[in-house]
This record gives sequence, C-alpha cells and structure tokens, in this order.
Amino acid sequence: MTLMFQAGTPTPPALASADARPMLSRDADSMFWMARYVERAEHVARLLRVHGVLLTDVGDLTQDLEAQMWQTILTTFRSGELPEGDGPVGPRIARHMTFDLNTPNSISSCIARARENARAIRESISSEMWECLNAIYWSVQADDAQARFEDSPDDYFYGIMTSSMLFQGLSNQTMAHDQRWNFTQVAKYLERIDVTARVIDTRFEVLTKMEAESDQPINIHLMGVLRSCCSLETYRRLHLADLDADTVAQFLILQRDFPRSIRFCVDQARDALEQVRKSNGSRSPSAPERILGRLSSTLEYTDINEVLTGGLSTFLQQIQTTVAEASMALQKTYFLY
Amino acid sequence: MFENYETGKVFDEMFAEPGDPRAHYAGVARSLSAMNADTFERRRRMADVLFRNQGITFTVYADKRGVEKIFPFDLVPRIIPADEWDFIEKGLVQRITALNLFCQDIYHEQRILKEKIIEPELIYGAKMFRREMFGVNVPRNIYIHICGTDLIRGSDGKYYVLEDNGRTPSGVSYVLENRAVMKRVFPSVFNEYRVRAIEDYPLNLLNTMRHVAPSHAAGEPTCVILTPGVFNSAYFEHTFLARQMGIDLVEGQDLVVDNGFVYMRTTAGLRRVDVIYRRLDDDFLDPLCFRQDSVLGVAGLMNAYRVGNVALVNAVGTGVADDKAIYPFVPDMIKFYLGQEPILLNVPTYICARPDEKKYVLENLDKLVVKSTNESGGYGMLMGHQSTKEEQAVFAEKINADPRDYIAQPVVELSQAPSFCDGQAVVSGDGTRKFEGRRVDLRPYILYGEKVIVMPGGLTRVALRRGSLVVNSSQGGGSKDTWVLEEEDES
Repeated sequence: MTLMFQAGTPTPPALASADARPMLSRDADSMFWMARYVERAEHVARLLRVHGVLLTDVGDLTQDLEAQMWQTILTTFRSGELPEGDGPVGPRIARHMTFDLNTPNSISSCIARARENARAIRESISSEMWECLNAIYWSVQADDAQARFEDSPDDYFYGIMTSSMLFQGLSNQTMAHDQRWNFTQVAKYLERIDVTARVIDTRFEVLTKMEAESDQPINIHLMGVLRSCCSLETYRRLHLADLDADTVAQFLILQRDFPRSIRFCVDQARDALEQVRKSNGSRSPSAPERILGRLSSTLEYTDINEVLTGGLSTFLQQIQTTVAEASMALQKTYFLY
Repeated sequence: MFENYETGKVFDEMFAEPGDPRAHYAGVARSLSAMNADTFERRRRMADVLFRNQGITFTVYADKRGVEKIFPFDLVPRIIPADEWDFIEKGLVQRITALNLFCQDIYHEQRILKEKIIEPELIYGAKMFRREMFGVNVPRNIYIHICGTDLIRGSDGKYYVLEDNGRTPSGVSYVLENRAVMKRVFPSVFNEYRVRAIEDYPLNLLNTMRHVAPSHAAGEPTCVILTPGVFNSAYFEHTFLARQMGIDLVEGQDLVVDNGFVYMRTTAGLRRVDVIYRRLDDDFLDPLCFRQDSVLGVAGLMNAYRVGNVALVNAVGTGVADDKAIYPFVPDMIKFYLGQEPILLNVPTYICARPDEKKYVLENLDKLVVKSTNESGGYGMLMGHQSTKEEQAVFAEKINADPRDYIAQPVVELSQAPSFCDGQAVVSGDGTRKFEGRRVDLRPYILYGEKVIVMPGGLTRVALRRGSLVVNSSQGGGSKDTWVLEEEDES
C-alpha cells in the first residue's frame, strides 16, 4: 500500500500568476472590512465633534431644529431611532453613538469590528498597524473611557480621529502597496463616498428648512458641513469668501483633486480596483471596476447646475446606490465566489 | 530585594544557598539587587503594556469575563549554562529520533510489539492510535516534525522528562515574544550575558516544512498553517508563526480538495497547497475520515495526504507516541531502536492498565499524582498529597471504570526560581515587595527536518501560586525568558 510519491498522477498547474502572490479570499474580505470600519469610526467621531462645537456657535435653536440637527447623525450612520433616556438630545445621541455596542456603527462598535477583522488577518498586516488598532481598542474599552469622554468629549473624539489617521498612515508606510493594501484603499474610499453623500444630503435638507423657518445665520451651518467633511480650510483657500450652498455642494461632490470630495474618492477606489485586477493578471475590468468607472465619468462630465436642477438629493442617493452595488460586486468577484 | 529569600527544600535554579547565587546567575543577582522594588515594578508594567498592545494573549475557556488574557510574564530570567544545555540537547535529539522510529514502526511492521517490548493492548487501546495510518508512508518517514518536550528538575538537581508533546505543541511564540520584550525592558541585564539567539526558529520551522514537500512542488512549495480560527486558545501563536514565516494562515473553509489535490481560495482563483502545518487535532482534520461533525477541517484532506499530494506537519497519528501510558516505554524505545542508553531520565510511572500496578496506585492515592492519559493542559489530574478523601474516592472510581485511561507518578518536587509576578503573595511584613521562589518547568522545542534542531532554550513556565506544582497557563501559570549561555571561551 505504498501510495506515496507515485509517479503518473498529473500535477495540476499552480494557477496563479507567478509574480504576484494572490491573497486568500477570506483575508481580502477581512482586510476590506477592517479598513472600512476604521474609516467609519473616524467619520462618527468627526461628526459628533463638529456638531458639539457648531451648536455652541450658533446659540439658541428651536428645540425642534436642534433635535433635527442631531437626528442627521443617526440618519447618516443608519442608526435608527433616537435612543431612549432622559436629558437633552445632543449628549444622549453623542453617548449612544460613542459607546453603545448594540448600535453597529457606534465608535466602540466600529473599533471592535475593525479589530476583530484585523485579528483574523493578524499575519497579513504589519505589527505597527496591529499595535495601533489594538491600542485604540483597549482605550475605548478601558474602564476610564466613559470618564474621559464626560471630561472632554472634544478630546475624546479628537483622539479617535487622530488614531484613525495614524492607522491609515501606518498602512501606507508599513505595508507593501500590493493587493492587500489596495483592498484597504477601496474600502476607505467607498466608505468616505457613502458618508460624504449622506452628510450633504441630510444636512442640506435641514438647512433648507432652517432657511425657511428661522433667521439662523446659514453661513455657520455651511461651515459646519464643510468641517464635518474635513474640508473647510481647503474650501476657503479655493473659494475665499464665497460661501453658498451651491458652491459647497460642487466642492464636496465634484472637486477633482481634494481627498474628501466624492469625485476624488471614486477615482481612487476605481484605481485601487484596477491594481487588484492587474495583480491577478486579468486584462478586462472587473464588475466593481466597471460600476465605479461609469460613476467616475458621470462625475467628470457633470455640471453642478444640472445636478441642482435635477435634484441634489436624488443625485446623492444614486451615488449611494452605486457604491452599494460596487461593494456587492466586489464581494462577489473576490470574496464569495 | 533578595533579602530573606528562601531556597526551601527543593532545588533552586538561582541560589545554591540563601544569599549565595550560582555562578551563572551572579550577574542577574547583582543587577536586580541594585534595583529597587519600584523600578522593578515599573519595568514589569512596561512589559505588561507591551504584551497587551501587541495582542499577545491566550484564551481561557470557561472564563466568562473576557476571552483574552495576557500570559503573565515573570521578568527574572531562567538561565541554563552551556554544559547543562549540551546534555539536555543530546537527550532531546535522542528522544525525538526514537519517537519517530516508533511511529514508523507502529504504523508498519510493529516490531516493537512482536518483540513484546510493549503490550499490544496499550497501543490499540490508545485513543490517538490511527488505524487509518496503517501502512501509509509519510514523506521522508518523519512523523513528529515539531516536538515540545516538558522537562522538570527534581530535588536532586537532575532533569527528568515529564511528557513529550508530539501532536501540536504550543507556546513557542511566547518564547520568541518573551525574548523580544526582555531585550526592550532589561537591555542592560541582557547585555551582560552571552545568550544564544533563538530568533531563527521561524526560518528553521519553514525549512522543516519545505523538507517534506511533495516532489511535484520542487523549488517553490506553497506552505500554509491551518488554524481552527480566531476562537482557538492558541490563535495568537498561529498568526505569529504565519507572519514570522511569511506564509498564509488558512482556515478549513479556505481549503478545497479537488481530484486529490488541496487548493486554497484566493482572490485570483484556486491555488495549490503543498505543505500544511496543521494546528488542528487529528479528530477535526477531515469530516470524511474522522469526526463527521467537524466544520473546522477539509473534506477529502486525508485522501490527498495518503496519496502524497500534500504533506501534513505533524503527521496524523503521532498521538500514539505521546500517550501518557506509552510514555513509560520511551527509554525502552531508545534501547530498542537506537541501541543506546537513554540520556534523559523518565519519571517513574505506574500504568493502571496493569492489574498489579493499578492495585498499588489505588492503595497510595494520597501520595501519587494521577493523570488521565488523554487530557492535557493540567485538566483531569489528581495531586494526591494535596487532595481530599472525597477527591481520592472519585478518582478511585474513575480508575476502576477505565484503567487504560490512567497512569500515576510519584510527586516530583519541581525546582524553583525567584519570581516577582504575583502581587498578593510577595508583600512581606514591612510592606516591601521581594522575590519568592516559584516552581518552574521547561519546554524546549525540537524540529525534525533535514537534521534535528533543538531551539536553545524553550518555554520556562512558572506556577505563580505559592506552593503550586501546576504550571499550565490555564491553571494560573506564567512564563519566563529562558537563556541558554554560549560556551565560555577557553582563551
């Protein structure tokens, strides 16, 4: 019964191309979600931070409007109804979106999920990335996390934001820019497109109402939207004192060379997908690449006035749908075939 | 900090007499004595943070508070002089060689049974004997590629083998991480010594794997580690080794068998796998062959293995060699297969499957350590001298019910080494903290590839509870960095 080393069995080819080592589908999946959750945690932190400061700046709003403003955060992160409890709406939502582990998109949830994914691919990411993410995880899990938050929400959110940026910087500087890294880029940019589209959509809706119902200085709110997208300084440099809703929308959606604008993110995500595909030795564009490519052309050849005439909200919702389609196509092509 | 340090009745690794450190410990004793307790405590916390931030954790089942724990690290190193290590190394090489010859024999000619060295009942009664492996030739006749052998030191100062772990021994990642942390926390103490490097272990391990690659994969075999997944207690180690070797860490769901070959699912389609270091027990490897309810394994893997299209490290069926009832025969194996005298000693063992020995065990339950032959990790044990009458009665019943399942050994007093790890126990009368002796063992790691390589050092586990003889991490054990010293220069 010596079956070992039998000659005659044809050896199958190694299938994958020789120069690039393909990655496990499960690893690619985890890589994608790790990066996406880190990016999401950063957005949640930034929005909560900007909101806190903004509402101090604008002074008294009607209770109704203030509640609506806070509600935009829940809408942006698809986090449903206002959490139960007493006290002012703002702090309640802030606490909820920071700590509640039952809310899938709270900061603590996002960090925990990012780390769970990182743990599953511990061997594929650099030690620096892992240590960074692990340190954030332990800091939001720590016994004194609530106390630090109550002491200064601003510091707390700022800590999350800088940690996320540190993590992304480490990804850029400690990983080979190979397929693994490209999956993190796709994830990061898809998440950013999605959040940015929702921020503009929900906030502009409230702004319109505000303009009609109150004498609130709209400028402050437009600055708030820009800040929520980490874009105020660049916007100012480009447009100086022209602060109006149409220009802000144009900037956040169509600006070609700014890393927070939707158009930039779409192009980056498409390019990263192209790299993934090429490293697998395939010549024709993959399904998610085609979806993002079409979106990229639309953004390139669209005039903001056409968008505004046709309805900003409709346009932004189309973008969200397209991102969801691209995300699905990506999973079907690379993770779950 | 060593004032009032008690050496006790057992062998102390560091002190020959109270206040009189052994020559190879003199440097450490000097450095640590010069340090005050606060400084030491600060370094210890620094080490804890390093471990936690790197996620160097293990999972304790049955602990609901949190699944991850840090493996407690004791900063006082365990030091082994060159001549002592030389002896241990020779003994370990001899042992793994004999164990491999035994596996080869037991799954082929069974000469050792025919010559009546071992009773056949003990082999066929072993739960880890795999009849599926009978007559299967494994690559290069190597069964145990990776072995972790547990050594202890008795009151006489001699090393004894407590058990061989020839299935999937764990802990080697802690050895490497302990060393890395030690270098960062105590660079000055470390630099006083010439400690033999252990950092080439992952490279040696990868070469061990490549050595058994099927011939069709000549040149560039694809090697992977197969893990049960994130929830396994040793998951950190699996990721650590994969990262250190630069190979993929796969789960059962990532692998498929097609036409007798094993593939992994990648973003570029299926890719052939040639060598699998599996950290999964035999039972779970292949639902078509072993446990049908296993979702961790790969259907058809055993078939691919038997026809030689994929190599498994360690081989299937090695559990028969590290069965606790087979352990007493290792010295006989060494004589039988190698014609040599055993270098390392065994602990005397009573096999309950033998009626007269069972009788002796039952009469002396209060003096012996009783172990189940199929359990590990410090579970299923009776420490006779520390047990109650009720516990003894329970074990007597168990032994009578299934004698094959039990062995007994006299209590071996493990050697002790100074420890500064356990917060509560080491505060002395005036409130100052100091070192106290804690029991230790040693698990060196042996690789059997093109040649046998023993990693210089190993995992020194320490029982952090005062007086405890159980060093397993699941039972409150910690670990120390283990230093094997370079040979002294003659000049």
